Order: sequence, then structure tokens, then C-alpha cells
Amino acid sequence: MPIKLVVKNPDRCIGCDTCVFICSRELAGVLSVKHSAIRISRVGVGFKITVCSGCDEPDCASACPYEALRLRSGGGVELVGPDKCEKCESRPCLDACALGALQWDDERKRPVICIECGVCAKFCHHNVLYYGEVV
Amino acid sequence: MIGDILFINLTDGLNWVENRRELVDKYIGGSGLAINLLNELCPEGVDPFAPENPIILAPGPFIGLYPACSKTIAMFKSPLTGNLGESHAGGKLGVAIRLAGYNAVVIMGASSKPVWLDIKDNGEVKVNGASSLKGLSSLHTIMSLDAVNPYGLQSIVAIGPAGENFVYYANVSVDGYNFFGRTGLGAVMGAKNLKAIRVTGCGEISVKDLDRYKRVFEKVYEDVIKSGKMRKYHDLGTPQNVLVLNKIKALPTMNFKRGYFEYAENISGEYFADNLLVRKSTCPLCPIGCKHVAMLKNFFAEEHEVESIEVGYDYEPIYALGSNLGVGDPLDVLKLRAVCDRYGLDAMMTGTMLAWATEAYENGLISLNETMVEPRWGNAENYIEMVKRIVAMPNEFYVSMAQGKAYRNLGEEFLAVIGGNGLAGYHTGLAFIIGTAIGARHSHLSNAGYNLDQKLLGLTIDPVEAVKALIKEEAWRCVLESCGVCLFARDIYGKHTVLEALNAIGFNYDDEGLERVGRLIYGLKYKFKFREGFEFQSLKIPNRIFETPTANGRISPEDVKKGLEIADAEVRGLVAEATAYHVF
Repeated sequence: MPIKLVVKNPDRCIGCDTCVFICSRELAGVLSVKHSAIRISRVGVGFKITVCSGCDEPDCASACPYEALRLRSGGGVELVGPDKCEKCESRPCLDACALGALQWDDERKRPVICIECGVCAKFCHHNVLYYGEVV
Repeated sequence: MIGDILFINLTDGLNWVENRRELVDKYIGGSGLAINLLNELCPEGVDPFAPENPIILAPGPFIGLYPACSKTIAMFKSPLTGNLGESHAGGKLGVAIRLAGYNAVVIMGASSKPVWLDIKDNGEVKVNGASSLKGLSSLHTIMSLDAVNPYGLQSIVAIGPAGENFVYYANVSVDGYNFFGRTGLGAVMGAKNLKAIRVTGCGEISVKDLDRYKRVFEKVYEDVIKSGKMRKYHDLGTPQNVLVLNKIKALPTMNFKRGYFEYAENISGEYFADNLLVRKSTCPLCPIGCKHVAMLKNFFAEEHEVESIEVGYDYEPIYALGSNLGVGDPLDVLKLRAVCDRYGLDAMMTGTMLAWATEAYENGLISLNETMVEPRWGNAENYIEMVKRIVAMPNEFYVSMAQGKAYRNLGEEFLAVIGGNGLAGYHTGLAFIIGTAIGARHSHLSNAGYNLDQKLLGLTIDPVEAVKALIKEEAWRCVLESCGVCLFARDIYGKHTVLEALNAIGFNYDDEGLERVGRLIYGLKYKFKFREGFEFQSLKIPNRIFETPTANGRISPEDVKKGLEIADAEVRGLVAEATAYHVF
């Protein structure tokens, strides 16, 4: 069974943003929102958690004209050709995801992509995020 | 860059960045940085509503880096106390300021017409017209200015009509459910014609030794989650205090006439959590969720016409608008809290004033000629009408109510105020009263005298010993406030942990240095207070405090007097030490 990150209990989120910052720390070695692959936003009485759902047939990868995104084993995508992203102006990968889970790194000119490391889930005390085997 | 401070002058609309790295190195940030800037920038004897009164917003360096650290410190000259204005608020503001690249934001001058400020990274500041926001509640202002930015963290602070009308205890909402309460920051913003500030931080916070920092983070996080040290705040939240204090007869009731309330169960943390709690909310990087939010449903017309309002509830508003007003219906407490939030009033001080007015009315000192509505214990509807008049100020009586003063000095002996600030909800004993009197911002949180009273329950408290313990505690809290630590996490951040955490992100402190900086900051706060005319000798303690037995029996006026004499000498020593260390 594949191991991946799942938004298991979205209604339990209290909006601490710890996952957002922990993610940027893992991906970029700093604390920021722009380097993070997760976004938390207030909606009604709760919060919306936007993060890659590790699709089996990722729309972002299909949308990329340069084949810069490759399906990773277990779900989701990996960035295999970041140099190709530099010249890409239309960024179809961002629009292709129905969740809007891909972010754009303006400095490095490439999408910010969840690497399925699961560190965010380790710091999600309320078990909103789950990282483990998925049936 | 570390030490960058953003200055904005509303008079001419100019803004600039100054680097004050030396202040950050010496005083950490937060309240340590803010008090230095206040002493420098605030002209002596200034009218709190004059354009020259600066507003300083300073988040400490732990914010955005460590768990349970989110308190931005605001400093200014207070219209309510006439000297140090200091208020702390959680929410996203601190992280947003830090991600925008600043250690502090300073707002000076005043605009001739209503404006709101839009602050972004790299010195990008816009002063925008806010005429269309006039009269809006702080929450609706925040909702109006909300603009999702996927690249950064946004925080919005705003005042309500009370701030626009210069009510001396108008508050400032941060993101809707956090507040700069107490000493009247809302009125100072109002005087500057500043309705709101939106800060969007799209930058980053970096540390040199990432691995070392991560190790401290992980250790602190584990402690927050697993040790149970913050359980109270996570579980029932601060309203857990209602029954605890009622049991020891320390729950101020009907203007401190007694320390117990027959309806305490109805307004207890347990009742709210079991019946009215709809969600918990929290600050960035804090897994606790101390903010407890209830849903208030109001069927306002036939055919089940309904309005639903989310109302945050904490212990202090429950005491101030509940037991201390004889209001024993939890929905009434929420209604009163909601109306304070609607107008942007500090709920505690509002409760203090309503309680005083009720007793003054009862005693025949004032009549309907003044109050226009009958103040009566437990009658929330009438209190709501009075709250509206505190903001609208239709007559001289309500002007005085809005200034936090006893009308024509009537019934001053039962106005539960010390140093200009309304008392918090702890009739625990001598240490609470001395603590409030000597606290730089006259808050129960300055030095937690109530905690000392509860630790020494049933024992004799020596005023001299109490003063020494309170000053030590307040100096230590000055360190925590300067780092950005939330006081709810004070048991997590002991001295050893604070040292580890500071040094892991590039500071260089040792045991002694840390203690000294706390004393210096406390001293600098008093330097400002003395400069603005504060003196211990003229501090009035309302007689009511001595009449009503506390959890520790009756307080003796002689003990308080003795305590304040010692405190005066001790605090002057701290001011001298701080002055010698840093000459302005």
C-alpha cells in the first residue's frame, strides 16, 4: 500500500499554520509561506487546507507541455526538469489542479511541490493531516 | 535585515526604514525594543491624543520560529492611565510583521481624514482613504480589507466606533478574535484617524544554524503537546477559573461586593464548553487553541428569523460582564461580550464602569437623568443600552463613563480601578492588589499577584516579601514579552529553555545577562511612567477592596501602604540601573 499525505480530518483544524511553516523549513530551510506547499485559509467557521493530494493520475503533470513533472511511485509528482519551468510563462500546472495545490516560487521560477515527506503531519497535533499507508 | 524598523508618518504620508540593530542586540525585541523606542520618540508630557504620541508595534524574535510565541507588544502613551500604554495581542500580526522584514512598526503623526494602512515587504506602504469604513465594527472592517495572498501571511488590525470616538478604553482587534485591550490603543489609533492596518508578510525568517534551532523547536513542541503544562488553556481555556475562584471566594461579584456568585455554575468554563463552544482558534505555530468561540443565536423576528454571531469567550470578560454585573445567564454574558466587540470596547473596563454605575445608581448618587437607562444587576438588556451610550456619549455622565472615571468623583471608593485601569477578576488577596498597583501596565498579567495569593492561600502574606517576589516575576515576564512568548506558555519557557531558544537563533545570552535585561526593561517602563507623572504616593486604592473579604481574608490598608513604599524604592533602583546602562 502506498504511503502518502492525506487531509484526514479537515474540520478539526484550528488554523495554527504549523504545517505551513514546517513545510517551508523542510523544502527551503527557512520559515515562510511562499516556500511552503501547504496553505491554510479561514472559510466560514472552519479552515480550508490546501495541499497536494498525491493523485494517481495528476492533472498538473498532464498539463505540463515540457514533461517537467513526473508521476512518482505512490502518487503525486516530482519535478524532474526545473530548468524547463524557468521559461514557462503560462504555468498550466497551477491552473490544472482543481485544488489549487501547486504554488509558484517566484524566485526560483518553478512550482512548489509537496515532496510527500510527511513532516507536516508529525506536527499536526489535531490529526488533520495524516501521513501513512492509504488503502 | 535584523533591526529594521518601519516608520510611518501619517501627517505627511512619508515612510522610511531605520536600522536599530543595537537595540535588538541589547533588548531582544518585543517590549524591550518597544520601551526604548517609546522613551525616545514620545515627547514628555504629550497629550495621548496628540499626533506626536507614537504607536509602536513590536513582535519578539521567537515569533514565527517557536511554538506558542505570537504576542506583539504595542506601546504608546495611554489616555486611560495617563502614562505607559502597553498592550499585548496574539493573532497573525507578529508573524506578518516579521515576514515583512521588520522588528517593529512605528506610526507617528495623524491624518486629517480617515485612512487605513497597507504594509507589505520591502518598505512598500500605502496610506489609503478609509471614509467608507467609518462606523464599521472592527470585525467588519477586517472582513472588508481581507485579500488572500498566496505568497504571504496577512494580518489585519482595526478599531471600531469606540476607537473612532476616543473612548479611553477602546481596543484594537487583531484578525477578529484577538485584541489589544486595556490601556486604550483603539482611542490613540482613532485620534490618528487610523481605522485599520493590513500587514502582508511575503518574506522569510531564516536562522544560521538550522539544525540547532530545529532541535530546540522539537523539544519545546513536545513539551507543549505532551507535558500537560498548557492543558488548562487547551481544555476549558481561561474560563476554568470561574469555579476555581468562586470556590475560594475570589470571584468578584456585583462590583466586588463579594467574592462568590450564586450563578457561577451557569457561567463556568465547564458550562460554556459543554453547551456553547463551537470551535477553538489559535495563533500561528501554536497547537493549543486557547481561544474558545461560542455561537450566539438570536431569533430577532417571527418565523425563526435568525442571526448567528461567533463570540470569543475568556475568563476576564465572563467575570467583568457576568458575575461582577450579577449577570448569571451565559447567553446574556455572550450578548454583552458581542456588543463590546461590535463597538470595539475593552470588555473588562466596560464591565468595571457598568458595575460602578449600577452601585452609584443603587445608592442614589446618580439617577435616570444621568444614566438614561436603569442600571440593574443582572439586566443585560439595559447594560447593552448603556454600552451603546458609552460609545455615543450623549451627555456629560457618559463622557465620564467613556473616560473610565467616576462621574463628578462620586462613589470613587467603589470604583474598582487602580492606576487608571480596571481590576481583573481576582479578589484573591494582598499580592493581587499590590501586583496591580506596581505592575507597569497595572494589569493582573504584569506579575500575577493572584497566582502568589493562591499559592499562599490561608497563610500570612508579608507585604515586603510579596513586593520582592512580584518585582522578580515582572522582570522575568519582561524577558518573555521581549522574546514574544505568550504568557500562557510561561511554564514551557523557563529560563533554561529561553536561553537555549535565544542562543539557537543567534543571540548571545547567559543566565545573568538574561536576568539583567529583564530588570532593565522593567526599569525603562518605570522611567517612562515617572517621566509622565506617575507616583506611588498618589496611587488610590478603592476602599471597596479593603471592605470585602478576599480568598485570603481582609486586606489591610497598612500592608498595602507598606508594600507600595518598598516597591517605590525598589522600582527607583531599577530605573537608576536602567538609566546607567543606557543613556538616552
